[in-house]
Amino acid sequence: MGRTVGIDLGTTFSLIAAFDPAKGRPRCVPGPYGSTLCPSVVSVDPDGSILVGEPARRRLLTQPERTIYSVKRLMGRGVEDVQEELKLFPFRIDPESRNVIRVRLGQRVLTPPEISSFILRELKNWAEQYFGESVDRAVITVPAYFNDAQRQATRDAGRLAGLEVLRLVNEPTAAALAYGLHEQRRGRVAVYDLGGGTFDISILKLVSTGQGDIYQVLATNGDTHLGGDDLDLRLLAVARQEIRVRHGLNLVEHPAVVQELRKALIGAKHELSETNRATLLAPLPDGSAYVREITRAEFEGLVQPILERTMGPSRMALADSKLQAEEIDEVVLVGGSTRVPLVRRMVEQLFGRRPHTELDPDEVVALGAAVQADILSRGVKDMLLLDVTPLSLGIETMGGVVAKIIPRNSTIPASAQEMFTTGVENQTGIDIHVLQGERELAADCRSLAKFQLRVPPGPAGLARIEVKFLIDANGILQVSARDLRTSQQQSLEVQPSYGLNDAEIERMLEESIEYAEQDLTRRQLIESRHEGEAILQATAKSLARLEAESCGEMPEAERRAVKAAESALREALAGEDYKLIRARTEQMNQATLPLAERVMNRALSGALAGKRLSDV
Amino acid sequence: MTTGTASANPSAAAACWSCGAAVSGGHFCAGCGRIQPLARGADYFSFFGLPRKLTLDATDLESRFHQLSWKLHPDNFAGSSEFERELSLERSSQLNDAYRALREPLSRVEYLLALAGMRKEGQQKQQAPPELLEEVFDLNESLDELRGARRSGGDPVEMTSLRKRLQAARENFLEKLGEVDRSLEQLFAEWDRALDAAPDAPSDAQVPAQWKLMERMNEALNRRSYIRNLAENVQKELTEA
Repeated sequence: MGRTVGIDLGTTFSLIAAFDPAKGRPRCVPGPYGSTLCPSVVSVDPDGSILVGEPARRRLLTQPERTIYSVKRLMGRGVEDVQEELKLFPFRIDPESRNVIRVRLGQRVLTPPEISSFILRELKNWAEQYFGESVDRAVITVPAYFNDAQRQATRDAGRLAGLEVLRLVNEPTAAALAYGLHEQRRGRVAVYDLGGGTFDISILKLVSTGQGDIYQVLATNGDTHLGGDDLDLRLLAVARQEIRVRHGLNLVEHPAVVQELRKALIGAKHELSETNRATLLAPLPDGSAYVREITRAEFEGLVQPILERTMGPSRMALADSKLQAEEIDEVVLVGGSTRVPLVRRMVEQLFGRRPHTELDPDEVVALGAAVQADILSRGVKDMLLLDVTPLSLGIETMGGVVAKIIPRNSTIPASAQEMFTTGVENQTGIDIHVLQGERELAADCRSLAKFQLRVPPGPAGLARIEVKFLIDANGILQVSARDLRTSQQQSLEVQPSYGLNDAEIERMLEESIEYAEQDLTRRQLIESRHEGEAILQATAKSLARLEAESCGEMPEAERRAVKAAESALREALAGEDYKLIRARTEQMNQATLPLAERVMNRALSGALAGKRLSDV
Repeated sequence: MTTGTASANPSAAAACWSCGAAVSGGHFCAGCGRIQPLARGADYFSFFGLPRKLTLDATDLESRFHQLSWKLHPDNFAGSSEFERELSLERSSQLNDAYRALREPLSRVEYLLALAGMRKEGQQKQQAPPELLEEVFDLNESLDELRGARRSGGDPVEMTSLRKRLQAARENFLEKLGEVDRSLEQLFAEWDRALDAAPDAPSDAQVPAQWKLMERMNEALNRRSYIRNLAENVQKELTEA
């Protein structure tokens, strides 16, 4: 069995971490570019291969139409949910999309779980490279306020990436775990987590018991569409307006310029966390540039209304935990956006105490996930997470009203049993509609699923079907039904309102394996072509040099052998068989060995000319 | 949402599914230590090893909850068979459901009454208790006036006096809520004393005195929920105005 890891699948960045048994603490794994942050950006190459992370991020500037960022915003959502998002993000949604969004990237049409699975696969590769062993099981974090569909979509992404998802852990809870381990904290802790695209607030109680520490979440709240992205969009809107006015330019037709501008704005945002003013510089399509100075005060004025939106959920979480702000012992900041000084001031004011920032706010969630992964894989018995479900679970009753059956902030796993019976004679089915949310009417809540209970024909009210709704430790709902008159378990066909069904996942899994092989083949083809072309160029150079310096005739047999190897290689390069290209490249290598030697000798004697032997 | 697999077979409750030793409703088999399926109809009080008393020590209950969490949580069974993982899910969800129900005195008594079949979700009477009729009538009149005044822009002097009247009405109801709570507490104590006096009494429903006590508690709960709704409605109108 391979290594078990923790993964923070973030809106802007994703990270992978593993527990280091030697040091007794978790650590994040760096990627090929040296950073532990993998940009959550995916790009589809014209040849069909997939790029993830830093190379894909660069493609945002050159090939925005084949590249996607912030795909987390689309997880577990339907087309009608994201209309607002579509005005702001350059997502190209396929018109065929229904209960699962399909995104167009170049020639491929992909669902958000598939796109996320590419990010997970990339991180898995990082860890496998780093540890030199396979990675096949993971704990993946999700925003605490994610609903059932968003959680399912994340779990699906894990499966599609070839990972066994041991557990979905809420991001703020993971952060608390990492902090607790680091600082040996006790008492009541508020975790304020403002990431790239999501906001969570969780109130926890850390209890020491004889057996070990319990991290008990008392309440959680949040907004799954609020984060650093929104600050960027605000700045972008201002900049685009100014560019329209000052330069008379509309950037709608210039997605690459918009991305360049966005990059500059994000740079300025980061700078303003450290300094009081920053200068923006971005090239414009007419050859001029947008240059603008922005002060921290101006920035804060622009983003304050957005950040205010974190205060309502924070107060709600406090109220649900039945605590006053002054009863909170510690406040922990998580997520890159908490580097913004205004965020720190607002949080400090709300809780009346200075928040902790000792751990890197980008890494802390992945570190906590790695701790939980370790607990689950090794059966560590000295730490226990008791998390809650963020949203009330309900079923639709007469008149479209929702009857709550599991209240929000219930410790999970949690369950509820409901009895159903028939209303008319010989009724053969009972329709059940399951929802999540706090509103009274079904139309205002999130539809999770619909299914039908089968009833044997008989008088009205005779049937007794008990349905058990169970929210598991991942925060995902399971439903089972039992006919109490026959004591028979009834199998249910549950159609998720949003999300992939099992058949679709199976198909994607097959496709992903096929594609993974195809992607590997593609990559090998590209690499082999590169090598083949490199040796052709080097040979041409050597021949030219030999010619120019007219030193040493090349034996005819050798010349013929090189020519033959060269045309054979060129022939292979025109095809797609990377093995053939490799073989012919190797032949070319052999054929040009004497030539290379001769050139080498020339270079050496040239370098040594005029020098005494003792100087060499 | 996923479809759950078949839950544990209840008929296995009498003998351990693993070693065959006799089990008597405990979480684990005394013989082999394996987690056991939930018996159907197992109640929340016995889940915690507690008598059906209505006055509970919150600290004691919490520590029982934590102890059982260590033992039953799915984290402990990540490496176990699928069947045992199912059992852990079933038992740990029951644990959390039980703690949620017993933690607060009101949900605790509601659960006790539901166990006796006296109280069913969504079937509470929502008509006004007779002795409150007059006050409720006055209140509704004031609320109507306030809404009317708000719609028509409202004379500030009239609005202020209306708000005062409603505020006073709300305080009156909150006071009544306090009275109901005190009477409930007395009923709880009475219930617990009866239980102490006859710990081995047969089932609740067969003891007329206990049944009577439960009826009184049920009435008090209905009264309480009615008054609380009133107070909340007034509060809502006041914050909107």
